[in-house]
Amino acid sequence: MPLHRQFSNDGKELIIAIKGKFDFGLVQEFRQAYSNVGDQQPTVFIDLRETEYLDSSALGMLLNMRKSLGKSVKSIHIINCRPEVRSILDISRFDKLFVIE
Amino acid sequence: MANFYEPATPSCHVTVIDDGSSIAREVIAQLYSAKHCDVATCSLAEFPNKPIRNNSIVCIVAAGDIGSDSLSRIREFIPSKTIKSIVITDNPILFERLGMLASDALLWPLASGLLQQRLLYLQQLQVAQDQIDGLRQSLAWHKARVDREHQLVEHIFQNALSRNYLEYAHVHTYLTPVSKFNGDLCLIAPGPLGNIYMLMADFTGHGLAPATGALPLSQAFFAMSDRGVSVAEMVTEFNYRMSRLLPDDMFCAAILLELSANGERVTYWNGGMPAALLFNEHGEILKRLSPAHMALGVVDDHEFDSRVATFRAPRGSSIALFTDGVTELLGHQHKFLGSEALEMLLSRYPRNEDFASLVDELERFRGETPLHDDLSLAILSCQPTGLGEVKPEPEQFGLPFIFESVLQPEHLMTIDPVAHILSALSQLPHLRRHRTTVYLFLAEAFNNALEHGLLELDSSMKQDPEGFAEYYRLRLERLHGLQQGEIRIRVHFEPSSKQLTVSVTDSGKGTADVAALAKYTEKSHGRGLELLRQMTTDLSWDAATRTVSFKYLL
Repeated sequence: MPLHRQFSNDGKELIIAIKGKFDFGLVQEFRQAYSNVGDQQPTVFIDLRETEYLDSSALGMLLNMRKSLGKSVKSIHIINCRPEVRSILDISRFDKLFVIE
Repeated sequence: MANFYEPATPSCHVTVIDDGSSIAREVIAQLYSAKHCDVATCSLAEFPNKPIRNNSIVCIVAAGDIGSDSLSRIREFIPSKTIKSIVITDNPILFERLGMLASDALLWPLASGLLQQRLLYLQQLQVAQDQIDGLRQSLAWHKARVDREHQLVEHIFQNALSRNYLEYAHVHTYLTPVSKFNGDLCLIAPGPLGNIYMLMADFTGHGLAPATGALPLSQAFFAMSDRGVSVAEMVTEFNYRMSRLLPDDMFCAAILLELSANGERVTYWNGGMPAALLFNEHGEILKRLSPAHMALGVVDDHEFDSRVATFRAPRGSSIALFTDGVTELLGHQHKFLGSEALEMLLSRYPRNEDFASLVDELERFRGETPLHDDLSLAILSCQPTGLGEVKPEPEQFGLPFIFESVLQPEHLMTIDPVAHILSALSQLPHLRRHRTTVYLFLAEAFNNALEHGLLELDSSMKQDPEGFAEYYRLRLERLHGLQQGEIRIRVHFEPSSKQLTVSVTDSGKGTADVAALAKYTEKSHGRGLELLRQMTTDLSWDAATRTVSFKYLL
């Protein structure tokens, strides 16, 4: 399973983890993963701990998510980035749009 | 197997030590006429040099005064406890002195039938003692075997847990099993991102049987920590293993916790363990990490709930994880410690350096009372882990190489060329560390050539989410209809300059927007080229050959 989606016990956090390759191959699956966040205004965590590869289409997908979720979520965090992934996000100035941990 | 306790056979071997007296003759006559009695004789002069049957009862006849030489030989012989002896004498002094040493003594004359009765009794005693000796030997053998097996198992445990990072500076532990083998498990391992994992588990019961469950659990824990797997995925795997392995009446309560590298973000899953406690440096309990799930090994995969909980730990706070052996610690006043008392102790000794005093208090409470359950307490302080990322392998740049691949429509349609090229390049140790970046720029250059050069897609479509999805739908559609065209990817590595040179050529007609390198915008297109521009050097587009090329320094 390249994409794993799970709410926390209390429903206040949505965790989406992507394994291996994060690119346009996941475009539908990724949209689906955040399509139903409920009305609890959860915090979304994109867990990239096992993301080895990503390209600009993944960045586009993240931006689309941000656009489409808007105020229905509290914030979007990108967590557990490997150093190389982190530097790609930094170059794209994603730190201005997401909380990167 | 023979029953050791069945009644002894009445058959009885007797060796009479004959002092030549009339009493001796009488005794021998009585024994010969007795049933089930096998009689041998030995003169007092020959005794005890003449060999005596192993299981024979020695019947020493000593009438009157037998002389000091004979007496001392008898006295030397009797204490050899393996042979039962009975003394028959008409001399009250001998009766008293030898009677204390021998198994039995009779004062002549004897009541009728008394001698046979006593011999039978001695015979039975002998059999019983032989049986006890046999049991003792067999027990000693079993004990030696169990000891040996325990040694082996201990060795296996030591090896299995050798990777356990209990000495990690930000964790203090107090782990006390009831027996040699611990049914509690406290595992600590660093993850690849500077994060740290902690598992506290408690198998049903204590001793060797539950401890064996620790082996597969710890193997899975260490392997998955190395990979940096998420808490939810780890517990799913643990449950999968435990539910298949453990018998129905055995399970494993567990709390798995991950602390991020910056020491702030805590993710945990608690199945059936006492609520771990988050407390600050003033000893105030901030949070209880209560169990929300069943223990591991109780439910099947499809019923298993791997949902985790997360929170942010304030700087300077700590988390106490413990098994019920701590709260159910029986004190010297026959009272359990209880969770309130534990919380009170934590609030009294909240700081890292107080841990020894906390343990002292626990031990004082317990006094001399023996433990009735394994006891495990671990306190993790929430601060930057200081573990850092896993060290990269030593820099070895090896051989220069050129890699070139010319991709025809059939390749473009059926495989992911970038992933293939990358898996080949990743075999080179020096490139492995850079695989994410190398993938990124190869993917950008390749997708640019394919999507704009060959498939003539328009990236302005990607501006809104619907168009974005449509763009990739169209990409797939046009790719499947692609009849001609090729993409040539060339990668050249020069170890002396540690430089990768990449060029990607397409045979299409579409407009490559490489020339118009976009500045950063929040739009989801044009970002690929911007990334290329920032991460590589000498990025150029040759319109005549339709080739984009760039360099990357490792």
